[in-house]
Amino acid sequence: MVNNTPSRRSTPRRNTPRRNGSTPAVSTPGGAPSSPDHMVSSPIGNTFSSPPPSDTRRKRARRFETPPSHSRFAAASTPDDSANSPAYSPPPASSEGGGEPDAPSMFVWGTSISVQDMNAAILMFLRNFRWRDDDEEGKYMKAINHVIDTEGESLDVDANDMFEYDNDLYTKMVRYPLEVLAIFDIVLMDMVSRIKPLFEKHIQARIFNLKSSTSMRNLNPSDIEKMVSLKGMIIRCSSVIPEIREAVFRCLVCGHFSDPIVVDRGRISEPTTCMKEECKTKNSMTLVHNRCRFADKQIVRVQETPDEIPEGGTPHTVSLLMHDKLVDAGKPGDRVEITGIYRAMPMRVGQAQRTVKSLFKTYIDCLHIKKTDKSRMNVEDPMETEEGCTPQDDQGTPMDDKEQIEKLKELSKRPDIYDMLTRSLAPNIWELDDVKKGLLCQLFGGSALTLQSGANFRGDINILLVGDPGTSKSQLLQYIHKLAPRGIYTSGRGSSAVGLTAYVAKDPETGETVLESGALVLSDKGICCIDEFDKMSENARSMLHEVMEQQTVSIAKAGIIASLNARTSVLACANPSGSRYNPRLSVIDNIHLPPTLLSRFDLIYLILDKADEQTDRRLAKHIVALHFENPENSEQNVIDLPTLIAYLSYARKNIHPELSDEAAEELTRGYVEMRRRGNFPGSSKKVITATPRQIESLIRLSEALARIRFSELVEKKDVMEAFRLLEVALQQSATDHATGTIDMDLITTGVSASERMRRDNLVGLTRNIIMEKLQLGGPSIRMLELLEELKQRSINAELHLTDLRNALGTLASEGFVTVHGDSVKRV
Amino acid sequence: MVGRPYDCLANPLGAVRFTFEKAVSSGSDPASFNRSDWGVADLFREFLFENDGLSQVPILTPSTVKWVQPNSLVRFRGMIQDMLGNEFYVGAYKSKDTWNTNKFTDVSQFPMGSSPDMCVWERRLIYCVPVPGQNLWADATSDGVANTFATSASREKRQRDACSVYDEVEMQDSNNEIQDSPSAKKMREGESLPSEDMNVGTDCGMVMVPEFDRNNFPCLVKIYDSPESDLKLNDVFEFIGVLTFDTDVKDDKNGEIQLENCFDQEELVNQPPSKVPRLHCLVHRKLSPSDLIVRAPTMEPKPHLIKEIRQSLLRHLSVVLGDDDLAANFLLLHLLSKVHLRVDSIAVGKLSLNLTGFDKSSISVFGNRINDAVKNLLPFSQCIPFTVDFLNTASLAPVKDYQTDRLVPGVLQCAEGSHFTIDETELQSGTLNSNGVENTRLLKDLMEFQKVEYDFKYYKMKMDADVQILILSEGKSNILPADIVIPFHPSSASPSGITDEQTLNAWRWYLAIARSLPHSIGADMQKVVEDDMVAARQVDRSLGTEDFNRWLTMGRLMGVSFGETCLSHEHWQMVKEMERLRKERLK
Repeated sequence: MVNNTPSRRSTPRRNTPRRNGSTPAVSTPGGAPSSPDHMVSSPIGNTFSSPPPSDTRRKRARRFETPPSHSRFAAASTPDDSANSPAYSPPPASSEGGGEPDAPSMFVWGTSISVQDMNAAILMFLRNFRWRDDDEEGKYMKAINHVIDTEGESLDVDANDMFEYDNDLYTKMVRYPLEVLAIFDIVLMDMVSRIKPLFEKHIQARIFNLKSSTSMRNLNPSDIEKMVSLKGMIIRCSSVIPEIREAVFRCLVCGHFSDPIVVDRGRISEPTTCMKEECKTKNSMTLVHNRCRFADKQIVRVQETPDEIPEGGTPHTVSLLMHDKLVDAGKPGDRVEITGIYRAMPMRVGQAQRTVKSLFKTYIDCLHIKKTDKSRMNVEDPMETEEGCTPQDDQGTPMDDKEQIEKLKELSKRPDIYDMLTRSLAPNIWELDDVKKGLLCQLFGGSALTLQSGANFRGDINILLVGDPGTSKSQLLQYIHKLAPRGIYTSGRGSSAVGLTAYVAKDPETGETVLESGALVLSDKGICCIDEFDKMSENARSMLHEVMEQQTVSIAKAGIIASLNARTSVLACANPSGSRYNPRLSVIDNIHLPPTLLSRFDLIYLILDKADEQTDRRLAKHIVALHFENPENSEQNVIDLPTLIAYLSYARKNIHPELSDEAAEELTRGYVEMRRRGNFPGSSKKVITATPRQIESLIRLSEALARIRFSELVEKKDVMEAFRLLEVALQQSATDHATGTIDMDLITTGVSASERMRRDNLVGLTRNIIMEKLQLGGPSIRMLELLEELKQRSINAELHLTDLRNALGTLASEGFVTVHGDSVKRV
Repeated sequence: MVGRPYDCLANPLGAVRFTFEKAVSSGSDPASFNRSDWGVADLFREFLFENDGLSQVPILTPSTVKWVQPNSLVRFRGMIQDMLGNEFYVGAYKSKDTWNTNKFTDVSQFPMGSSPDMCVWERRLIYCVPVPGQNLWADATSDGVANTFATSASREKRQRDACSVYDEVEMQDSNNEIQDSPSAKKMREGESLPSEDMNVGTDCGMVMVPEFDRNNFPCLVKIYDSPESDLKLNDVFEFIGVLTFDTDVKDDKNGEIQLENCFDQEELVNQPPSKVPRLHCLVHRKLSPSDLIVRAPTMEPKPHLIKEIRQSLLRHLSVVLGDDDLAANFLLLHLLSKVHLRVDSIAVGKLSLNLTGFDKSSISVFGNRINDAVKNLLPFSQCIPFTVDFLNTASLAPVKDYQTDRLVPGVLQCAEGSHFTIDETELQSGTLNSNGVENTRLLKDLMEFQKVEYDFKYYKMKMDADVQILILSEGKSNILPADIVIPFHPSSASPSGITDEQTLNAWRWYLAIARSLPHSIGADMQKVVEDDMVAARQVDRSLGTEDFNRWLTMGRLMGVSFGETCLSHEHWQMVKEMERLRKERLK
């Protein structure tokens, strides 16, 4: 038999006795003996006859020497078929003349699938399915034309489209994929040849995006021979295996080449004698490798993704069989979504053994493979404002989660969504509601803005948590890290400057210099969580300046000058330099961070452990409950983590809020008011309560707040909440304890206005004393005496030697006095 | 065994077939048997547990595997080390108008040929190993069929002269009228089994079995009809089922390599079937620590009894620790600890102990004594030498090897309730390489969260663990921060004395029982505890969550150690007193 289409793999169903008594004999109604060339075996093994739609189809088919289409399953045919049912040979389709109108309805054996009906249904679907109702041309007609134009080999068919258009067709395809796909391919072939008769390649349908995807561990015997869709991670790819499709033999004696012999159910029968009449030597044929036809094949192992593994289990794996174009479509480590046909193949104990092991090897004949994102959340373009790329992106993104998106939208409409999200954030860390709200804003983020001039405004919100040990700062950090789209968790203690940014390294093998990314670059478009920020080396901290405002990391080293993007939000936490926060000192003094860096944080929260019996009791209650009660019933009405992540990623990806006029007005008004608050009427001191940095922070915060509501518009209430958040944070960190007012100088310079005034007063006072007591060039005075004098005169007796020293330092720089050790001399 | 048409012990498959035929003849459709049982499990359960058949079932060990017949009933005790996924097999098929089943076998009994009626069923493959760190006394292999061999001590000897053992067993078996010789079996089973199979089985059974040692005796268990959540990684189970020992698969390797075999080849690398015995599991049960005690005292956990045992055990521990009563008290609580609840990342109930103040001379005396004591008391215990060299070279975390598709076990893959003694006195200054750093991080994570990170190469997965960790060190261990740090003050080094097996068993039983007791707190006691905590915190602001967690864990364990299920005022006071004394020592 020289039929050129190896049948699709036989199925267990096919291992059954003769069907319906019909013989698979080939006959042409015209009586003309069909030459081997004319025989077109149906790729559908289960049909005993499959009438080709027209005569042209037959001629066309002749041209496809070995249509690659069917090759995708050919390799799967097992020797067992021949062993178990030696009498069976694939029933070739009888070419019963074209256009016979009343051909009896053909059914795929064992099913209710009528070949004609299927044909028609598929044709209808391909012709008529439209993306939108008003589209002129059907989606797939367009796609087919595109494939023809680009000489492609496959047509991607979205199963969701099929489901929408023809529910029945979809169901049949999933249940009997082998049969339906074979018909599908024939229909496609036919359509292509109508459009472009000379099109040489064969196009096969690649189905993807099934309605439901199976979990790997739920695959069971009932799924065999069904179309399934799985998610997983590629762990191993075999090398490409060339699989023989057509073999050519040569006679060793006379050099005669045999006709190409096609693989039949996984076997090639080597001719025993030379075909040449004159020669007829026995056992002289040898395989000519370079005249054989081979196809690519690859076996890929796919493993469950970690989130699908139940408690106390190990990941399951499944083998995939890839053919032709799909070979090397993925590499180990890729997360993929696979659509394919689940197959089982009997295993035999040994070649020579009679006993058949009652086992099956299972694998998936891969139809379509799609790489899914590696990260938890689609990090592409969360805060970028580049226009134009989004529409295409949308088509590429999985639309399969329509339901979920609906659910998220539903969720966002709740009036208490903001509070609910706050509650759901680290639910076992209680209190700290405002801190959590701030963190929520950080997770959602503002919108980045790039001006025409090239100026950048970051959309990332940076947060610093300062607080006493044991106030679950680190837990919060860990939690955010878990939730963040992409992010690195590092500890300041172990981080070096290069470890955070980037460094140049020499590749040990090639000797090339390569740029290795550090934590900040790696968390581009994510959140970089830095624990123990205060313990970070000066050097490492200093380069954070650039990252936190410019959002880049510049490197100039070893011939590499580069600026890497580091559009990351920084979430840092620090302990006060003494083990406890000293409320008398400013934030700067407490954490020993340079003010320049501190001002780059949008929100600074002080988490203080107040010696408060109420809190202690709550803590005690919480711990006792932890040990003796079931903690599950205490949690209520919170959003679970996966939903939270989905909500977050959807908002970051799809919501780009803009300021409304009303909100902008409110922003201006609020800012002016904040600035004005520093000017006390009648007071000489000028307290800065807000800087331009704050207004940027406010915009970012209000944008994030709008995003939380899935709102495209920043409203007045968002701005007001942003003001509240900022104020809460400022109140904690920038309150001057001497006066009780907010003073941005505390953060920007580390010295509050009242402190500055106090120092000025002291300098003046000292100057007066020295003027009175000391003569120009006269004897010197001891510093302690001076201090006593000062204490007597000043109302505020809290004076330290250091204060005096500072004052004297100022005077000395004015050239008023000289200080030698302990003695002061007027000059 | 009179009156049964089959012999559950020697011919379990006969029993399987018998029940299957009965079920079919009663009109059930074999196709509906998928994922269900037609009465086999009940039958064997009845045989094993009600008719006391369990003790007759030989336990599969390196020594017994030499003479146990394939296709006979055996049991295997071990830890689930890896799961190899599901396997599809022909569950039932029709041959000459009669239904047959392949359940619980590897090879079909009749040639299946082109049978049209064929049901494909699935079963799970589980790879089991002897529990890591299993102590001799908990090793059930010392008892079993061969009660003729008295104690575990003689087991080593037994292995050496396996021949004589084989003879002996043969004798014994024939006495029991369990005819194991191939011919007899064939006769009994009629012509149903392909004779070549049987011969291969028995002939090669002797030759093919490679030498196993006690700690390297894996078994591939095939589980039928059991929900996935039943069996978890690292659980300790006893499996009772049909033993098969494939020896004929090796032919495949000699055969021509086919492309289709690409799938098979992987499989062959994984589990050389001639090396690993297979067990088709009929009945499985999870083993609790008390199941492991060979001759467990069958006592009711009565309070006064518990108190007595507690007292004697405490005295023993105190002697072991050179009359350091406080340390002995802490050690007792430590030995009773287990993770009973997980809230987010917090493992509630763990209580790791760090005994400090060891030096070169005291570690040599007390180190060994503590080790021996722990070994004698707990079923699974291991010592980890904490040296730079060890940290740099050892593989602590299990790693998935994708070449063989197997989980390569690491030291930290261990059964629930294992005990680790880490001797930090051996640690010298040195440089840790990346492996060493990773290993210390793993140990620290284990101590803090009772989780072990399994390395799946492309991602890591944290698995829950429940391990008691005891650290012996010179000063407070900073690398491994324990829940309780207590300076060790021995006052004498008198020999700990020899304890008889019965007392030991009582202690073992006590530890196993007390650990599993539930515990709660009354409302009034809750108030007392809360007040105490608030008061303590008002005095000392440095007290934090960890301290309170420790107190409550200790309170719970203290109550449990007296066999009580509710925290009492007295025990809470004892805990506070212990903490006070400990604080004093730390000063």
